[in-house]
Amino acid sequence: MASNSIKLLSGNSHPELAETIAKTLGLSLSKIGVYQYSNKETSVTIGESIRDEDVYIIQTGSGQQEINDFLMELLILIHACKTASARRITAVIPNFPYARQDKKDKSRAPITAKLIANLLETAGCDHVITMDLHASQIQGFFHIPVDNLYAEPSVLNYIRTKTDIQNAILVSPDAGGAKRVASIADKLDLNFALIHKERQKANEVSRMVLVGDVRGKSCLLVDDMADTCGTLVKACDTLFENGAKEVIAVVTHGIFSGSAREKLRNSKISRMVCTNTLPVDLQLDIFDQIDISPTLAEAIRRLHNGESVSYLFTHAPA
Amino acid sequence: MNNIVVFGGSSHPSLVEKICGNLGIKPSQVKLGKFSNGETSISIGESVREKDVYVIQSGCGHVNDNFIELLILLNACKTASASRVTAVMPYFCYSRQPDIPYTAKGAPLISKPKETYTFESVPGTPVPSMATTQKPRVPSDGPISSSNIDNTTTSESSNLEHPEPVRSSEGGDLHKSPSQSRIPMVPERKENSSELGSLFNANNAGYKLWVAQAGTLVANLLTTAGADHVITMDLHDSQFQGFFDIPVDNLYSKPIAHNYIQYNIPEYKEAVVVSPDAGGAKRAASLADSLGISFALIHKEKRSQLPKGPPDASLTSGGGAAVSGKPLIASVSSLALNSQEMRSSSSSSRYVQTTMLVGDVRNKTCILVDDLVDTSYTITRAAKLLKDQGATKVYALITHGVFSGDALNRVSMSAIDKIIVTNSVPQHKTVKFMGKDRVHVLDISQIFGESIRRIHNGESISMLFELGW
Repeated sequence: MASNSIKLLSGNSHPELAETIAKTLGLSLSKIGVYQYSNKETSVTIGESIRDEDVYIIQTGSGQQEINDFLMELLILIHACKTASARRITAVIPNFPYARQDKKDKSRAPITAKLIANLLETAGCDHVITMDLHASQIQGFFHIPVDNLYAEPSVLNYIRTKTDIQNAILVSPDAGGAKRVASIADKLDLNFALIHKERQKANEVSRMVLVGDVRGKSCLLVDDMADTCGTLVKACDTLFENGAKEVIAVVTHGIFSGSAREKLRNSKISRMVCTNTLPVDLQLDIFDQIDISPTLAEAIRRLHNGESVSYLFTHAPA
Repeated sequence: MNNIVVFGGSSHPSLVEKICGNLGIKPSQVKLGKFSNGETSISIGESVREKDVYVIQSGCGHVNDNFIELLILLNACKTASASRVTAVMPYFCYSRQPDIPYTAKGAPLISKPKETYTFESVPGTPVPSMATTQKPRVPSDGPISSSNIDNTTTSESSNLEHPEPVRSSEGGDLHKSPSQSRIPMVPERKENSSELGSLFNANNAGYKLWVAQAGTLVANLLTTAGADHVITMDLHDSQFQGFFDIPVDNLYSKPIAHNYIQYNIPEYKEAVVVSPDAGGAKRAASLADSLGISFALIHKEKRSQLPKGPPDASLTSGGGAAVSGKPLIASVSSLALNSQEMRSSSSSSRYVQTTMLVGDVRNKTCILVDDLVDTSYTITRAAKLLKDQGATKVYALITHGVFSGDALNRVSMSAIDKIIVTNSVPQHKTVKFMGKDRVHVLDISQIFGESIRRIHNGESISMLFELGW
């Protein structure tokens, strides 16, 4: 009989998260070595047997210099487990890399998210767990099951407990996020406003128009990711111009690339909240973090035991 | 040249220019860059619909970045309705596939292992949510977590003396990120080998530590990305071709190397072609055959015995080995301690590595032939051995000069008199470092240009394998 055992592996992208997940599950991370040769090729050493094991590889899409290194690490890890006769290999990718390159928005543009999906399958991945995909349609790029978890329950908890919910209004910084924000607003029974932005090219925002009334309100600016923070800071300015009392930004993936830290420090933003799908080191007083490792851990537990995962779409495990 | 489109990746633009020059076309417009979050961004500037597309990218520099860029380029061309997409990889990354993490010959690791594991003799079969799998940790270990920043920073500072940090760590905002533990360090060899030695010499009877072999994966990834054809040169293993389900044209640098030797090495008929290890013997022998000159081999042996007397790890070499006129084994086993030798691990390993030369090189010019020089340990040690055995001059003929870490330092300090290397990997650093007199760069753009032309026109390329081209 196949043993019903589980192995947790972690790449180099977010070891803290992997440790927390392992702790929540009461497991320890498997002994593996993921190194880099001096010629910058990635080398993976598997330190224990994973024959016929249920393998979970935790690797997020992080690191500005190293995002491709982490991607190759993940692919090589998956392939290594495959060749080592693992029973099932699940890639746990809290922040899916290249998720924003998901459409052919101009001629000959690469659909890299689709390519990544194909690469993961080629490497031998049997299942993917991810969180708050930029576009949930990316699930359709895969031929294997993808569990797209939501940070929403955890975010709701945070908003309920740590913000001035009586006087709050939810704001979406762009039209694309309206649906996400509307759903949160519904659940909290709050109003919501929308900022419409005109983008000229990637990572640059030109003009913003606010739809809705935020006067004297505590604004909760909700988005799926904060990258260069150009949008966030401009949205924050727009909200203050329209009479907002305070602005709290809540995002799932805190990438904070480029000069994001400077922008945030110089902005009037009251609080910057993100989850720990990515390692963040902002060193700002206004920064706060939501721990989503219980959700990921519970998803792993349920997946391993063959239980339904949909409970996690609406509930955040403690 | 109708319907042909050649794109160059960011790894080696000058080679792209040269190959296109040979084809009489211009490299096609492509914008390569990165988004601010580090993701690779490309944008193809001209139509590739129903075109024959060639993407040139060498596996050098920041390998993973360049490789992913190649995959994205191939995929973008494929989804933009190119009729055929060919990946041209002068140096094929991940082709070496070392089978243990560290050997005296292999590439040293940049980062230290994060845990000083002690492997259990029996692989644990944990049950979910069980505490029995919790292995007692060595107190000083660095688990994969940030709680060990102290650990990594100390190791970082201890490595400050190493001149070339391979990966920049200037991003202060990445402070807590794992990049800390990945800070480039090519640790002292002894220290490193003992460290990994402990990793390997643990009495792990039940489980043998192994290193993932990325070869098949890389081949499959290329196919998945949409490559219909691959052109490369001097693959480390010719079996690598078998990993692909698409045609792979493995070109050889032998013809131009042959040419160079004939015209540039004085009295080459008296020279000896030497292979620095057994793996390259076939390649070197075939070059020696075609030149009609003699051949020697350096053989590394791992002997499982303790050296007599105090360990003589200071790389003393068999200078005293009088081998004049000895036909075959120059430094025999009785001279093992005299010949170049090192203990593969300072503490517990009982293996002694002996290097011996098979063949006669006294008063001769030697041509060391290898396909790949990465850390350069093998080739510099071989050069030293040859000089010690009485060679007058040592040439090193290399196809792919990766020269990672502080390899250039080592090569320039070595007994190698002249390096002949192809430009499959950018070599301006090598030339700058070693001086024009000691480095000769062979241009392979002609071979690649001609093979692209022939593949595009559906002609045979086997002629490129022949001599005298």
